[in-house]
Order: sequence, then C-alpha cells, then structure tokens
Amino acid sequence: MKPLPARRVVAKATRALIFTLAGLLLCAALFTACTPKFIGDYDATIDSGVTDIQQRTEVYLGKIKQDPSTLYDPNFYNDINARLVALKTRAHILPQYPIIEQQIQELQGQFDRLQTLDKGMTRPFPIGAIDAAESAITVSVESILKLELALKRGDKNAPSLK
Amino acid sequence: MSLNAGALAKKMLAAALPILTTHAVDAEAFASVEFKKIADTIVSIQIMLQAGQINNQQAELLLEMQKSASRSVLLTLKGLSLLTAEEAINAALAVVRAVVNTALKFPLIP
Repeated sequence: MKPLPARRVVAKATRALIFTLAGLLLCAALFTACTPKFIGDYDATIDSGVTDIQQRTEVYLGKIKQDPSTLYDPNFYNDINARLVALKTRAHILPQYPIIEQQIQELQGQFDRLQTLDKGMTRPFPIGAIDAAESAITVSVESILKLELALKRGDKNAPSLK
Repeated sequence: MSLNAGALAKKMLAAALPILTTHAVDAEAFASVEFKKIADTIVSIQIMLQAGQINNQQAELLLEMQKSASRSVLLTLKGLSLLTAEEAINAALAVVRAVVNTALKFPLIP
C-alpha cells in the first residue's frame, strides 16, 4: 500500500481533530441545551503586546543580520522578558485564556533559547541561524495572532490573518 | 405540539455542518503554511550543522525553537476547534430555538 503524502496526513489529522472536538462539544451542549462559550474573548492588549514584541525582535535581529559582528545585548532580552511576563500574567487572569497563556509561555521559552544562542555564539553570527530563530518566533507570534483575531467571533470589521 | 427528534436533528446538522467544514478548511490552510515554514527551517538547521556553521548544542537550541513553534501552531488549532464547536452549537440551537421553546411553552433554549 502506498503511504499518503505528509501534507494529506496533516490535513486529514487537522480535519479529524476539529470534527471530533466539535462533535463532542456539540453533544455536550445539546444535552444541557445552553448556548456555550468554550474560549475567552479577543484581547487588544495581548494582540498589540505580541505584535510589539515581534517588531522589537525584528529590529534586534535585523541589526545582527546587517552586521553579523554586532555584540550580544542583554538589555534586549530583559526588555522582552518583562513584556512577556506582563502578557502572561494578563492571560492568566483573563477568563478562559489557558491556550494563549500556554502560547506566551512557548514564546518565552523561545526567547530563552535565542538568548543562550546569542550569548554563546562567536561572531560573526551565521545569518542562517538568525533566520532559523526568527522563523520559529514568527510562527509562534502568527499562531497567537491567528487565534486572538479569531476570538473576535464574526466581527465583520475584524482584521484577518491568512 | 410534540417535537420530532429526527426532524430537529436534521435541521441542526444542516446548520452546523457547513460551519464545521468551513473552519476545518481554514485551520488546515493555516497549519499547512506554518508547518511548511517549520519543515524548511529544520532542513536549513541540518545544512548549517553539516557545513560546520553551528555546533551540536546550537543546532539543538534551534531545533527546540522549531518544536516550540509547532506546539504553538497546535495550540492555535485547538483554540480554533473550540471556537468552531461553539459557533456550530449556537447555529444548531438557533435553528430549533423557536420550535422547541414554542412546544415547551418556556424558553429552554435562550
């Protein structure tokens, strides 16, 4: 038997996940005959906070890409960490926000690893390594923003993320 | 007036199914784009390691960052699933609200 291509497997798994979860929750809600809410509302502070972190990161990594001899700057990491702690605290107190709180924690972990890499890397910093780190952070930021914008729930004026 | 479970279920399914399908396609498109980025980056880490541009420890750190990005994508899919379920349930309940509440003579479905 020919194995399915990886993309089809991911697509099938994604669909199966959504249908299964939705099906289970649909049954539960119909049983109780209530109009349910399973996840919190859009939060502009988290949206703008995460976007701001990405902008600052682009500036910092952009500088290193422009001049790979640029030295490690601990202030950048202290600043980003303080912002992430504040966002995580906010996510923690918002109702039904554990998913985004977990995503912010993932982002914190990524910055910790980037800091270790940046601190220990001899200069010139390999551009490929910066690109790899930047890409991981971008995927995480996009994931948070995709979900955050979806939490606007059908607001026709809401911005969208492809 | 007595309620017909079969007819109610048919109406509810008709309201919920298009929502489930649309959101599944959207989530699939998002996951496919993001996982492609992660896969490309993993390949580039291997190339840098083989070329001696980074050492094993640095490759591990970069790989951990990609794994973390994958977890973040999956968390978004989980969140989107919850939103999809919420929307599908509300749509399913909305199409039978009037008939159920009328039959029962009290607002069971708000």
